[in-house]
Amino acid sequence: MAMNKKLLTVSVICLLFVFVIEAQENDANVIRSDPLNGAYQSTYNPERSEKILIRNARILTGTGEELVNASILIENNKISAIGKIKKNTKANIIDAKGKWITPGIVDIHSHMGVYPAPSLRASSDGNEATDPVTPHVWAEHSVWTQDPQFTLALKGGITTFHVLPGSANLIGGRGVTLKNIRSVTVQGMKFPKAPYTLKMACGENPKRVYGNREQEPSTRMANVAGYRTAWIDAEYYLKEIERYAKTMEDNLPSDEVDPDQDEDEEKPPKRDLKMETLAGVLKGEILIQNHCYRGEEMAVMLDIAKEFNYKVTAFHHAIEAYKVADLLADQGVCAAMWADWWGFKHEAYDMVWSNAAMVDQAQNGTGCAIIHSDSAVGTQHLNQEAAKSRAAGIRAGLDISRGRAIKWITSNPAKALGISDQVGSLEIGKMADLVIWDGDPFSVFTKAEKVFIDGHIKYDSKKEEAFTRTDFDLGIIDPEDTRL
Amino acid sequence: MNKIIVTIIFFLYLVFPGVSVSGSQSVLIQNTTIMTVSDSGILENTDLLIENGLIAAIGKNLNTNDAKIIDASNMIVTPGLIAPHSQLGLVEIELERQTRDDSTDHYSAGFSISDAFNPSSTLIPYNRSGGITSAIVIPSSARSIYSGMASVFKLDGELVTDSIAKDIAMAVSFGAGSDSRASQILMLEDSFEKVLRFKDSREQYSLIADFDYDDYTIRDLEAILRVLNKEIPLIVRSNRAKDLLRMISLSNKYGIKIIFYGAKEGWRIADVLAREGIPVILDPMDNIPDSFDAIAARMDNAALLNAAGVKILITSQSTHNSYLSRQGAGNAAAYGLPQDEALKALTINVADVFGLSKDRGSIEVGKSADLVIWDGNPLEVSSFATAVMIEGHSISLISRSRRLRDKYLIELGLK
Repeated sequence: MAMNKKLLTVSVICLLFVFVIEAQENDANVIRSDPLNGAYQSTYNPERSEKILIRNARILTGTGEELVNASILIENNKISAIGKIKKNTKANIIDAKGKWITPGIVDIHSHMGVYPAPSLRASSDGNEATDPVTPHVWAEHSVWTQDPQFTLALKGGITTFHVLPGSANLIGGRGVTLKNIRSVTVQGMKFPKAPYTLKMACGENPKRVYGNREQEPSTRMANVAGYRTAWIDAEYYLKEIERYAKTMEDNLPSDEVDPDQDEDEEKPPKRDLKMETLAGVLKGEILIQNHCYRGEEMAVMLDIAKEFNYKVTAFHHAIEAYKVADLLADQGVCAAMWADWWGFKHEAYDMVWSNAAMVDQAQNGTGCAIIHSDSAVGTQHLNQEAAKSRAAGIRAGLDISRGRAIKWITSNPAKALGISDQVGSLEIGKMADLVIWDGDPFSVFTKAEKVFIDGHIKYDSKKEEAFTRTDFDLGIIDPEDTRL
Repeated sequence: MNKIIVTIIFFLYLVFPGVSVSGSQSVLIQNTTIMTVSDSGILENTDLLIENGLIAAIGKNLNTNDAKIIDASNMIVTPGLIAPHSQLGLVEIELERQTRDDSTDHYSAGFSISDAFNPSSTLIPYNRSGGITSAIVIPSSARSIYSGMASVFKLDGELVTDSIAKDIAMAVSFGAGSDSRASQILMLEDSFEKVLRFKDSREQYSLIADFDYDDYTIRDLEAILRVLNKEIPLIVRSNRAKDLLRMISLSNKYGIKIIFYGAKEGWRIADVLAREGIPVILDPMDNIPDSFDAIAARMDNAALLNAAGVKILITSQSTHNSYLSRQGAGNAAAYGLPQDEALKALTINVADVFGLSKDRGSIEVGKSADLVIWDGNPLEVSSFATAVMIEGHSISLISRSRRLRDKYLIELGLK
């Protein structure tokens, strides 16, 4: 018995040791705040792709550049060359004359899978609106893998999307980044090695949901008190974990421990799902994705991050980002914005069409602008949302090239999701996620013609029949037919 | 004496800048491309003369003595867009009940919203800058399955503005809900039957004090009677193909005119809709199977309906962004709707269906000069209106949103 206990203690010490050491490392490939034993990890492992050479295209690389008459070579699921490439006889050639290529579109704000279509109570699993602080819930555990909205988004060029819990809660739970591929498990869709994210929400939604129940928070000031209280708990928890790890470390090796002292031996702190997520943020491993409309609220949220020494990665639905664009640029915080949604609530009243362009151009063009739609319709046309925002910026007198604006839906969201080392731009060594468009992607008349994920054509408008549907689509209208 | 009149007119302009004053200045739009949305089609390098708020002439090299000249070369002129189904002027902030006048718990079919229209709503200059010059304003809900009655407003933002046309259509919702759709049909049928009995003995009814006819006040019954008399159409908000068929048989039984709104599965019965001459108001981008009433939703619904010969009217589902009907029309075009049909669906088709085409909806001599000058293809998302005219008056393109933009462009040092 004592032996077993000792073994357990040693293994806990080892685990915590690894935990702490890893937290100090700065290796982007080591995923921390991951559950034990590799549970819930991505099982997505694409088949090795054929060698494909796409030629004669106009390419928006996602790095800001626009290449004319350029080629892309895809090998082993990755981009192996881009630019001027000699004709390669061993590769399948796709002539993309007159077509445009962009990186696969990254949607940073989606509720697909957790609010699937059809909208039914049975599968509306995006808001755990029973407590304002629920960092222990994970969106991935609500995802319905057969949501027909996934395939519609794929046709619009969405290759990666980030699924968030809703905004009823101050701290809503962990988000998950998914690849837009069909799988019967969410693990099979999970973006490999993507960091976890945490959804937080400012303003009207939490105070309305709980205020209507005569419960805290019912005001914005109680919202802020709620976040701070949670972070105080998280700081305490993290210190306890670290103190325990240190104690154990100091006592190692402990072969000569007197069995009689077992009573006094300190027990490891009990795991706490809520605190594990919040501690992950404090350690810099989990990225904050913060629903926040108003300028002054964003500034307050940045002060909370200052008080507790963590980082806000991105504000979402940042209707008033343009009012604090300098602050956001200074602090390196991205803003995810609609092109033009407004007026559905008071905090969405001050929308301007050029929001994204103004955020982008702030502080000598150092701002990080992202276009989102928060809509299963909008995500199918995220290129049009970016086009509207770009046009509004130009009309406001700002110089926004296509190369610049495409970043708003490719490399900038990839950066804010912590996956920009793998997707978001067309560079050698990155995943071969890309879209061939039948024209200028900033035109309403342009459609995605071929969508590649990891070098595989997942959608081809010329071969609609070869397109993998969700289970929902089978026999749902006509038993012998497939929807769409 | 003349001086006094001029001064009075001048002050009238100051107080009511959009009011038509006889003798208002003529305007000549020169060297432009005119998408007439009429039998004349698209006219290149053409001039358009506006006198007394009306389109006075269309042609090459028009002459005028004292008209204000607008050079619109490299621009495109279209009729002002008409929002076919919105709550413009009724809603300021969706979640704030006290800023909304688009529903009632007291009336049903007879709920007329025309007295609630707020011409000073910030949504009006904003949507006007997106090219909307008039709107069918329609309540969202009322008692029972009826939503009430629609009126038409121009978006000149003037306090003196009244509806162009009042109580021109009635709306009803039909489909999935807490009550069986069979029951909804019965309720509709029952209401029609009640109205027919009411019609035969309305004098007696009106003599009865505290008249209460289930869900319907006398106002409601009178309104439904107008539908049964074919004076106004019934807009049926419904999506499932079978529901649309059911409503068509009901409308035929009672001899009423119907218009479908939504009709996400409309393409499945496109030939029936065409044969019956039933117009459809739709958002072409809404292809989400968001309920078991809309499983067959698809992006080319508009194109398929049009190809079958159905008259389509394109709307945005967001009142705040009513002008985004333009993006919907562009997408419909991307999925097979001819571009000229897409523009019709934003203009003349709306005017035709709601009885406004005598004065509006196309660029023809004698019609009201409700016009938009665009800097590019009006269906393209990157195009902007550079001028908007309502009844011949150039209307400001400044909105509150634009003011905010300009303020912060300066604060950020971007201007």
